[in-house]
Amino acid sequence: MAGGSRIEQARSRARGAKLVLGALTSLVFGVAFVGARSHAPGHVKHKARPLGVPVSFETAVRKSALQAGQIAPPVQPPSVVTSTS
Amino acid sequence: MTAVRRFRSMGCEIVVAGGDPTAVAGVFARWEGAFSRFLGDSELSRVNASPEAGLVVSPLFARALRIALDAAAETDGLVDPTLGAALEAAGYDDDFALLPADGPLGPAAPSRLGELRLDGTILRRPPGLVLDLNGVVKALAVDEAVAALPGDGFVSAGGDLAARGPVDVGLPSGGAVRLVRGGLATSGVSSRVWRRGDAVQHHLVDPRTGRPSSSPWREVSVAGATCLASDVAAKAAFLLGPDGPDWLDWRGLPGRFVGRDGAVHANQAWRAGISAEAACT
Repeated sequence: MAGGSRIEQARSRARGAKLVLGALTSLVFGVAFVGARSHAPGHVKHKARPLGVPVSFETAVRKSALQAGQIAPPVQPPSVVTSTS
Repeated sequence: MTAVRRFRSMGCEIVVAGGDPTAVAGVFARWEGAFSRFLGDSELSRVNASPEAGLVVSPLFARALRIALDAAAETDGLVDPTLGAALEAAGYDDDFALLPADGPLGPAAPSRLGELRLDGTILRRPPGLVLDLNGVVKALAVDEAVAALPGDGFVSAGGDLAARGPVDVGLPSGGAVRLVRGGLATSGVSSRVWRRGDAVQHHLVDPRTGRPSSSPWREVSVAGATCLASDVAAKAAFLLGPDGPDWLDWRGLPGRFVGRDGAVHANQAWRAGISAEAACT
């Protein structure tokens, strides 16, 4: 019985130590997490995307290469007379 | 509008307003030096003469060729950079001012677009495929020159024009239009025609036949967001013949067509653009 009691006491101390270690780990993680967020708020919270215009925008620009210009009736004598190319 | 300066480059008169003509001349000289078919030391001439199937080209060359391939895709292959042999067969094998009045007509040379590959700056094509990038290069030079202007102004090169700020432009067959924004290009056969094989030839080759187009139009003017867009669309609309006006309307591009008989036909977008703007001013 005495041996079993020592084993139970050792197990009890181990459980206590695990609880303390777990609590300390959670506390340290929580402090570090809050500290990181408050000291480095620019850190991304999602997958990083490359800088630059989105691919969809580039695609749209490429697809609309033949966009229209804007014309109006002439209001004064031509500044230049073009020929053909 | 500020003072207008003129000089010659790429076989035509360049007109500049609102900028340093020396700087603009430098832009045109750079493009001409790289892409002239008639300068033996241009990169285009060296590429065309190379017996190698695979070549590493300059970033400028790759960029222009990529744009030409994009233009071909946008126009279902009508504006085609692989028609150099067709132009030579039609007799356009030297600076226009130096062409003999007549001579034999070479064989037809239809499109070889499917034989060309461009990966980055690596060009693969069968030796003997003659590239001609004139369909985009002059317009690219105009767009680059206008982008470098310090303020409002315009740059005109033959039938290609781009402006920053409104400019009134006289059209080759008469009449005028105000370009409020973007570019304006006229493609046609009013000038630059010659004879080969007892027939009149010109530089607007139909890639489907490999011969100068028999389009019913004498010239087509298009207003696009850039000079490049205008020039590509004008060439495609010219080559499409009777379908040209609807093709432009489908894309919302204003186009003005002059028939071989001189009759003028404006598409819906051209008419709408002018009338809408007139109502506002």
